[in-house]
Amino acid sequence: MNAVPRRIQRVLAGISLPVYLLLYAPLSVIAIFSFAPSLGHPGPNVAAYGLLLNDPQVLAALRRSLTLAIGSAILGTMLGTLMGFGLSRFRPAKGGGFWLGTLPSLIIYLPIIMPSLVFGISELIFFNFVHEYTGLLSAGLLTMGIAHVTFQAPYVALVVYARLAGLDPNLFEASQDLYANAVKSFVFLTIPVVRPALIGGFLLAITLSIDDFTISFFTAGPGSVTLPIYIYSAIARKGSSPEINALGSLMIATVIGVALLYYFVTRHRERSNRIPAVA
Amino acid sequence: MRTAAQGEARSRAWRLWITSGPGLFWIVLFLLIPSGVMLGIAFFTNSDFGSPVLPLSLDSFSQVAGYGILGWSGANFTVLLRSLLQAGVATSVTILLAYPLVFFIVTRPAGLRPVLLLFAIVPSWTNQVVRTYAWMELLNPFAPVSHVAQVLGIIPPHLGLMPGNFAVLVGLSYNYLPYMVVPLYAAAEKLDWTLVEAGRDLYASGARLFFSTVFPQTLPGLLSGIILVGIPAFGDYVVPQLLGGDKAMMLGSLIADQFTFSPDWPYGAALTLIMLVFTCVGLIVFRRLTQRLGGGEGAML
Repeated sequence: MNAVPRRIQRVLAGISLPVYLLLYAPLSVIAIFSFAPSLGHPGPNVAAYGLLLNDPQVLAALRRSLTLAIGSAILGTMLGTLMGFGLSRFRPAKGGGFWLGTLPSLIIYLPIIMPSLVFGISELIFFNFVHEYTGLLSAGLLTMGIAHVTFQAPYVALVVYARLAGLDPNLFEASQDLYANAVKSFVFLTIPVVRPALIGGFLLAITLSIDDFTISFFTAGPGSVTLPIYIYSAIARKGSSPEINALGSLMIATVIGVALLYYFVTRHRERSNRIPAVA
Repeated sequence: MRTAAQGEARSRAWRLWITSGPGLFWIVLFLLIPSGVMLGIAFFTNSDFGSPVLPLSLDSFSQVAGYGILGWSGANFTVLLRSLLQAGVATSVTILLAYPLVFFIVTRPAGLRPVLLLFAIVPSWTNQVVRTYAWMELLNPFAPVSHVAQVLGIIPPHLGLMPGNFAVLVGLSYNYLPYMVVPLYAAAEKLDWTLVEAGRDLYASGARLFFSTVFPQTLPGLLSGIILVGIPAFGDYVVPQLLGGDKAMMLGSLIADQFTFSPDWPYGAALTLIMLVFTCVGLIVFRRLTQRLGGGEGAML
């Protein structure tokens, strides 16, 4: 890109490098403070990590967070993939008017656009009413999972839709010409083609679930404290502590690890999937 | 012939509902209906326990406007204005940081760009509570940053940079910076640099060159960035809750209080309605602007 003079490039770098520093400074501070000296442990130490790994509350919260993330991501990916697939393949060519065109788009964008506080409180009220009148759906992991699926599915649908939109529709015609029925063509053509989007969508759904606090907070019950809620209430109760810093550091490290994994997986997939995209 | 075409259309519609139906139904059942119920509650009366009861009334809205047992107070307007202001300033900060960052990335060799972009986005994948908590560690009265500010006389001794409006602004900008970077990057990557060359041939330079060649081309990305940052920043709950404090309260905390500490559902629902109205107005205005500029949305649903 030689359209940008060297002098301006230097200015851009001079601003951007501090921005990168700023992005990672707070995260590094948490990591550094997690080794801070505490009562009975002078000097830098890993005592906080030891405390953490022996704390039954933290371990239970971790288990709940993982159950919630994986469980909701499976259902969210299934619903989202079907939505993305259906809307890209079966929506009438001319846009489909209101009922088949505009309305589905509006519904899909609703969870993405709605402020998460409004989202969470709406669910809180709704589950409260449902529980009051039917006795079902008392606040807990189940209600949290339902809420998580609601915001995961649209994102997965968008990822799958974007993947299918770049695809030659003749491929589906060709599979029909070869006497594949709808189910066969879905299993042998659609699934392999959307597999990168499926994996990407699933990872995205897990990230969204782990990243969320506000919606989880309002749909959680007393027995469903997940990691973010545990951290939030610990901060509210006793401020910062090396233990919370250690927990935060582990969560940050996990996310960065998953991000790098995702990057290398998708980079590899993109290369190996060029054939169907070109065809 | 016609019946065949009709049959084809009907079978497509049927398949559309079979595949997309369950997901759409899920969203309608678990989000559209709940938010409808929530907005309906705004028109009920508050009971002693904070739950909505009949008769229908507009009491909650006069409460929103500031009328209470003790007469009129402007506190709610202050909170609303502060939320709008914080969202606006935070959006401007992200714009000022994102432009140089995005053009720095775009001017790197093609192989490096995805990595640099990834590194700009990764912090946003960590949990919002952890991210905000990190700023509590950085800005609290005992942190080195606050100490420097105390020595420089920016803040009085023994006080930290948090809680307060400044800390909320920092937290919001930090949280939502990647949401500005991504759409701007998408626009900047497709930039037609020959226009910049043409501008330079016509002896334009500096700000003039930027605003007549680069800026118009990145405007669609900028507008989506403003939506992606401004709307969630306006309705944010975690950041003002952890970094704010009473004097920096934003609309989100005010709403949440009506459903947790001092339950008053109709009042909370009416406040939520106000939040949604502002959100929708913002969305519609920026969408119109984008359409007028002819911003293509590519593979969007």
